[in-house]
Amino acid sequence: MPPAIETQDLVKEYGELRALQGLSLTVEEGEFFGLLGPNGAGKTTFINTLVGLVRKSGGDVRVFGHDVETEYQQARDAIGLAPQEFNVDRFFPIREVLMHKAGYHGIPKDEAERRADEVLKRVGIYDKRDERFDWLSGGMKRRLLLARALVTDPDLLILDEPTAGVDVQLRHDLWELVTELNEEGTTVLLTTHYIEEAERLCDRVAILNEGQKVTVATPDELKERGTDTISVALENPPSTPPSLGAYAHDAWLAGDALEVRVDDGGATAPQLLNDLEAEGYDIVDLEITRTSLEEVFVDLTRHEDRSVTRSDEGDGSEDQPPGDEQSGTEREEDFLEQGGAV
Amino acid sequence: MSIANTQLRTLIQREVLRFVRRPYNTFLPPLITNVLYFSVFGVILGSRIGSVGDVTYIQFVLPGLVVLGAMSNAFENASFSIFHGRWNEYIHEVITSPLSHTQTVGGYVISSALRGIIIGGLIVAVGFLFTTVPFAHPLYLLSFGVVTTTLFAGLGIIGGLWAEDFDHLTVMNQFLLRPLVFFGGVFYSLDQLEGLAYTASLLNPMVYMVNGVRYGMIGVTEINPNTSLLVLSGAAVVVLAIDLFLFKRGYGISD
Repeated sequence: MPPAIETQDLVKEYGELRALQGLSLTVEEGEFFGLLGPNGAGKTTFINTLVGLVRKSGGDVRVFGHDVETEYQQARDAIGLAPQEFNVDRFFPIREVLMHKAGYHGIPKDEAERRADEVLKRVGIYDKRDERFDWLSGGMKRRLLLARALVTDPDLLILDEPTAGVDVQLRHDLWELVTELNEEGTTVLLTTHYIEEAERLCDRVAILNEGQKVTVATPDELKERGTDTISVALENPPSTPPSLGAYAHDAWLAGDALEVRVDDGGATAPQLLNDLEAEGYDIVDLEITRTSLEEVFVDLTRHEDRSVTRSDEGDGSEDQPPGDEQSGTEREEDFLEQGGAV
Repeated sequence: MSIANTQLRTLIQREVLRFVRRPYNTFLPPLITNVLYFSVFGVILGSRIGSVGDVTYIQFVLPGLVVLGAMSNAFENASFSIFHGRWNEYIHEVITSPLSHTQTVGGYVISSALRGIIIGGLIVAVGFLFTTVPFAHPLYLLSFGVVTTTLFAGLGIIGGLWAEDFDHLTVMNQFLLRPLVFFGGVFYSLDQLEGLAYTASLLNPMVYMVNGVRYGMIGVTEINPNTSLLVLSGAAVVVLAIDLFLFKRGYGISD
């Protein structure tokens, strides 16, 4: 079985600006794969390339072995996408929206009805099935996007920041649901700003920055790349940090405690304690602070200027041009008030 | 039913339901407008103008008004549906689905052409309140109805993909369609034109549509109906090919 997603030297250029700069990435079938990166890293551009909303400038992109341009129908049939934007048909009740989506994938009407009801129940908004999208709350809208992605029973579920702006309860509900789907065999590609989310859910994560892959690893492997801090409370603290072995990258005093930055806090602590006792210090307490994935992420993506890439444009509403805050619906209403035809 | 048929049928159904469920926006305006047209041009002015050839003025303008309603609704349906979908980004539901480009173009064209034909039929029904027509050549009438609405549905797709703002839709209606209509022989006979004005009129597709439908309804035409049908069919094929090309390139719908 070919990988769920395979890209080779993927490039996307917007004029002079390169949103994706030779990205090569493989997501295996059945994986729960995370894409992390700051705004403008190219995460949404990457996803949109898979589903035909962005045309690549170069490189090769395949979904379950199907080229996304020459075999776009097979590639798109395998994908269920829950995007960041609320891009849902406003003309129809949400149950019909789901049925239409199923129909576009060739699912007959009776089966489409059954699936629409099933996914609405699964995401917990079945009682809103006859409402139109605009009448749903923010959390329900998020749930609907997930339902729409699921109604075609996709082999590859793509979730583009699915928990952005949702409350804790919904976030946990969504985590539970996608974990369940992944356990049932669905490959999941998740982009998120919440490091905890990636750490909790993903088998592997790729960190992107400025359209390039910085690294791909499991969350545990990434954390191992960071440093830990050992804090040793001393009975008789010195006025300056004592000299320690090469294992200590840095040492400083914080009140009565000596703090030492090391690669592996658990393995290094005994030696540190021995060294301190040998120098005559009385140890009162010991605490090891492990590196969080968030700290590793910040280290890996740190850059002087975060606003250099054009791909910000594809990365969400926060990138709307100034003065363009009016919603599509509001502008549509303006148009209709002016006598526009539909 | 094959998967491909289900996909196409779903898109057509979605598009048709969109305009059928909004009759106050889609069906009522052309009905009212045409009652006004028939009252003013047919009854009030028509009684003073008399006849054009062997038919009364109201019978003469009826086919033109049918064409006007049918083509403008076919155009507006396709352009609005595509542009509105782009504006609110829900056209992504179609684009990210496994419909072929041909199915996508076919779905928008068939549903928009259908709206044009329904509106044309409603205008005929309104016309019957004011006059009668013999339906001299019904097959020609049907053919011209299909080709005309297909052509303008195809043009509507181009408009919907090109527009960047609601203003652009208005511009297309007011500055492109409206002049074509008024210089398309709806309200006057081509015999009244001479020289350059006559020749220039032959470049206007409306002239062929109006004359073709007029031939189908009342058996009167100023241009050979087969020539008209050939010209319009050729234009429709070219426009549909452009639609297909634009969808393949992702024009207006992908970055």
